[in-house]
Amino acid sequence: MWINMGPQHPMTHGLWNLRVKIDGELVLDVDPEMGYLHRGIEKISEDRHYNEIITLMDRTCYVAGMAWEHLFIQAAEHALHIQVPERAQWIRTMSEEFQRVASHLMWYAAFVQDIGLMSPFLYGMRDRDLVLDLFQSYTGGRLTYEYMRVGGVRNDLPPGFTDQARKVCDWLSDRFVEYDRLCLGSDIFHRRCDNLGVLKASECIRYGITGPMLRSAGVARDLRKDRPYAAYGQVDFEVAVADGADVTGRYLVRMEELRQSLRILRQTLDWLDRNAGPVMAENVPRWMGAPYAPVGREGYLLKREYPKGVGFSAIEEPHGEALAYVVNEGGEHPYRVKLKSPVFVNIAAARQYLVGYRVADIPPIMGSVDVCVGEVDR
Amino acid sequence: MEAEEVGARLRERFPDVVVEPFPGTAGRIRFPAARLIELLTEVRDGLGFDHLGQVGAIDWVEERELFYTVWSDRAKQYLFLSTRIPAGEPHLESLTPVFPSANWHEREACELVGITFDHHPDLRPLLTPTGYQFHPLLRSFRLHEPEELEVKVRDV
Repeated sequence: MWINMGPQHPMTHGLWNLRVKIDGELVLDVDPEMGYLHRGIEKISEDRHYNEIITLMDRTCYVAGMAWEHLFIQAAEHALHIQVPERAQWIRTMSEEFQRVASHLMWYAAFVQDIGLMSPFLYGMRDRDLVLDLFQSYTGGRLTYEYMRVGGVRNDLPPGFTDQARKVCDWLSDRFVEYDRLCLGSDIFHRRCDNLGVLKASECIRYGITGPMLRSAGVARDLRKDRPYAAYGQVDFEVAVADGADVTGRYLVRMEELRQSLRILRQTLDWLDRNAGPVMAENVPRWMGAPYAPVGREGYLLKREYPKGVGFSAIEEPHGEALAYVVNEGGEHPYRVKLKSPVFVNIAAARQYLVGYRVADIPPIMGSVDVCVGEVDR
Repeated sequence: MEAEEVGARLRERFPDVVVEPFPGTAGRIRFPAARLIELLTEVRDGLGFDHLGQVGAIDWVEERELFYTVWSDRAKQYLFLSTRIPAGEPHLESLTPVFPSANWHEREACELVGITFDHHPDLRPLLTPTGYQFHPLLRSFRLHEPEELEVKVRDV
């Protein structure tokens, strides 16, 4: 019998439908149905200036907007041959790590609620708000920031930001100890997570899976380490791995990543304290994104021709490996923007890690995948 | 691994492919569409690029381009591959026997750019509604001219 889990099912954490073929409680087959959130971001991008696309990138994954901005901006700079000042690179690194913390806390809150622990949900959401407060203090936005620009970032950090950010880091590192005690010390947690949704390393690679799901199978693959971008080559951190390849393993990997993110954040904050400098490249016109001329040169439409080229970028987004491919054919808009989302691939392999388990196991397993439908459907 | 090395290792079996440098990656390979399965199998097993990152399609009006990104954990590098097929009857062999993860990427390319993949296990539309008769990522699909759309509800 086929049943629908979704589009309105608490397990989905977004808008999608998991069709499940069951025999009693046993899962025989699954068929994810996507597309409920398809907004045509790739198509709309073909009709916009580079800086106008940043708005769309925030909405691609609405819990990891900064990471997607970073991904696209890097590809655009690659296509347009623009060098970014060092301070902007460090601010981007810091932003992406704060975004990883916010995204993982969101995952933590949603995931533990799936397995029946209510209070960690409240703690996770409470602590994520502190990170959002920091974002608000320097970008003005809590969810969609529109902060990065081709050639740098929009503005420098406000005075006193790094002290406030360090306080948040200290607070969070104490809380992570409590999170672990709440979950790993709970019998319910282990009964609902151990040895579920197992996907071994060889299968993960065959099905293209990346991110915490791959690292929970013991493969230490992290683009921040393997192919350092922005300032990641200059910070010291370790790649989190676990060997269970199951739901508990993915939990352990994400919690370790949170701790490693704080380690990276402390280093970036120290660097930003010590080094001042421009946050925007000199040769990039500030009005690059606007269709009209800047103040003082009004009255005529700016006609711009960018050099032909292709840009490619790859980042370790909170959910895994995200790729962007930008083709510029010399016009004002990109000719084609192709985005690859890690969750798209991780859900596509759902049959491999759901079949053979029970219906009641689906929420913890899909919770451990950390689904963000915005970036699957785009 | 550099583009020259990739080219040197492929030259004997694949004299018809062109390997060119592509910044930030191990290179870009342009190959004739008929050699897709052979070449990708060699790239996976011989060169060690065993992790498929993405499959994407671009509409160049007269032709369509398919590009593949693969990653090697040993070389810690990406490799780009691309091929062009005529737009008249755009079809191509499916990559799913070599990389099972190509499944959804090809479903997406099929519905959005209108490319048919031969021997694909399941080419149903993935993102667009059932009964949607357009390929939105074609250049001929205009953003600012709304199209009449009739959506059929699927029987479950």
